[in-house]
Amino acid sequence: MAGFDQLLNGFLNSLTVVNLTACFIGALVGTLVGVLPGLGPTVTMALMLPFTLKYGPITGLIMMTGVWYGAMYGGSTTSILVNIPGEAASVMTCLDGYQMSKKGRAGAALALVAAGSFIAGTIGILGLQFFAPLLGNAALSFGPPEYLAFMIFAFVLLSNLSGEVPLKGALMLFLGLFVSVIGLNPLDSYPRFTFGWDELMMGIDFLPIAMGLFGISEILNIAIEKYAPPEVRKVRLRELYPTREETRRSVLPIFRGSILGFFVGLLPGPCTVISTFVSYALEKRISKNPQEFGTGAVEGVVAPEAANNSAVMGAMVPLLTLGIPFAAPSAVMLAGLRMHNIEPGPTLFTTRPDIFWTFIAAMYLGNLMLLILNLPLVSFFGKIAVIRPPIILPAISLICLFGVYSVRNSIFDVWIMIVAGGIGFFLRRWKFPIAPLIIGIVLGPTTENSVRQTLMMFRGNLLLITGRPIAMVLLGLAAAFLVYKFVSPYFGKKIVLKGEERG
Amino acid sequence: MKKLKRFSPETAVECLLTFLGLVIMIVSLAYGFGTLRRPGPGLYPFFIGLFLSVFSAALLVLNSKPKDRPALFVLEGKKTFLLMMGVFCLWILLMPLLGYVVVTLLATYAFCKIMKLEGWGKPISLSAGTALFIYLLFDYWLYIDLPKGFWG
Repeated sequence: MAGFDQLLNGFLNSLTVVNLTACFIGALVGTLVGVLPGLGPTVTMALMLPFTLKYGPITGLIMMTGVWYGAMYGGSTTSILVNIPGEAASVMTCLDGYQMSKKGRAGAALALVAAGSFIAGTIGILGLQFFAPLLGNAALSFGPPEYLAFMIFAFVLLSNLSGEVPLKGALMLFLGLFVSVIGLNPLDSYPRFTFGWDELMMGIDFLPIAMGLFGISEILNIAIEKYAPPEVRKVRLRELYPTREETRRSVLPIFRGSILGFFVGLLPGPCTVISTFVSYALEKRISKNPQEFGTGAVEGVVAPEAANNSAVMGAMVPLLTLGIPFAAPSAVMLAGLRMHNIEPGPTLFTTRPDIFWTFIAAMYLGNLMLLILNLPLVSFFGKIAVIRPPIILPAISLICLFGVYSVRNSIFDVWIMIVAGGIGFFLRRWKFPIAPLIIGIVLGPTTENSVRQTLMMFRGNLLLITGRPIAMVLLGLAAAFLVYKFVSPYFGKKIVLKGEERG
Repeated sequence: MKKLKRFSPETAVECLLTFLGLVIMIVSLAYGFGTLRRPGPGLYPFFIGLFLSVFSAALLVLNSKPKDRPALFVLEGKKTFLLMMGVFCLWILLMPLLGYVVVTLLATYAFCKIMKLEGWGKPISLSAGTALFIYLLFDYWLYIDLPKGFWG
């Protein structure tokens, strides 16, 4: 009952004008970002960080999750109407969504996706509401060795799932960890890799790097590509009604996608993208008519979309309970919470339960808002999707420049963003995954703390970790994953879950 | 038949990362490695450098086979990339001198032209709209102290 009381309190806290407005703006901007090819949720969330500073951490968290959530909703619109995924997690929706559209069923597909996303979001929130406090309580017994083992486990999975070549993922992760080392060491105030440069003493801020790697590099990427205007299919409001058969075929895939997506969301890496691949593959495998997939099967549209929405909530679990982000957008959220002097982790539920429960309540409201927002405005979002890059990109470039400058009034940060943007452009071209780099930067200080504290705790004898069962299980899982990865090609099996989450 | 290449700019980056890893290791040693019982400030970055150089060297070896390496961009793309980067750098250099309104107008117009937005009406209205939006959002609403330049 205590949880229910806290949830009610959360609803009371979230029903303020500021929080509801933040939720609405986040959801609307997120949907636009999902619709527009170019910007992704990560960079938009990073862009919104300065605006959240004026209000409290709860408002900031609500707004940022609204963006992430909205992007998942919005991404499906362009996939179905123009066969262009607004963001990476909607790639699978193109396969059958556009085919449905060609058959004149675009309205039904959009309506079912919106309803499915709403159900998935609600299931995801219920999962977060149930699992987060449980894991948070369990994590209270975590010491530095367990945190270190958890980091190693997360890093192994992240490197392997984030790109086509695991070595590239690992390389990016260590590059991120190195960037986090630059500046004064918080433990002994020793300046490292600053080379006498005053600007580097406080370290390289996360925000300009994230904006550069995800925002500027994407702008450069789109600017040099040739633009082919897509053809948009018009959808009328009365066409939004699905047939009874379509509804019947959608129910179970929505529930399966929601549950699967939530658990995939708990994994490190581009969870929203992976969840859509897994969910689509599952539906195709268990379908009585697998030959229909790719020709407009409604199951192939609703299941991946449900999965990516509930994966967003799954990804919130490790962030809120352990303070460890597993995906690039949650890394931005962690950076945002730290800007408000909030450190998520197991103690969050005892020290600031209001943050968690208000966030949960706001997510229920946000989910409802997105449902109301998306269906009537489908035609509007369809029109937005075909705005030419030369019209939208100059304004976005300028907002990125001012957004980064405004955080610390620092021209140095803007330089960092431009350099990171240039580097990110080439990294993308050579298929180096960006997400591990960002997560490496955010998790660097926590990792170093865990390493140092573990070494001091064990007086330099790392073998003592064998006496810590949780740490050993986590290390064992990481080792098992690596062994499987190396051995599986010899047995004709291969892990195919991969995909870079676009910012 | 396509010509297979052993080296590409990507190879150079892998070499650079291997070198960076080695530099990190050397500099970390200078910071003081400490002992495992009492780690010094250089211990953690030393291992980062070690892993970085080992992984990039491994990647270098794996990618050393001659293969088809497509060009990064066509000539037109290279020009666009350089111009865009140039405008970004000029924005940073000129903002303290000319103030944020003027550089926003100029940069937006330049971006529109680089991305081949036809005519002058649309680019000018877009520039004015962006400058107004930046003023309303950052200056008026968020009270950010933006450089006014000569006019301020």
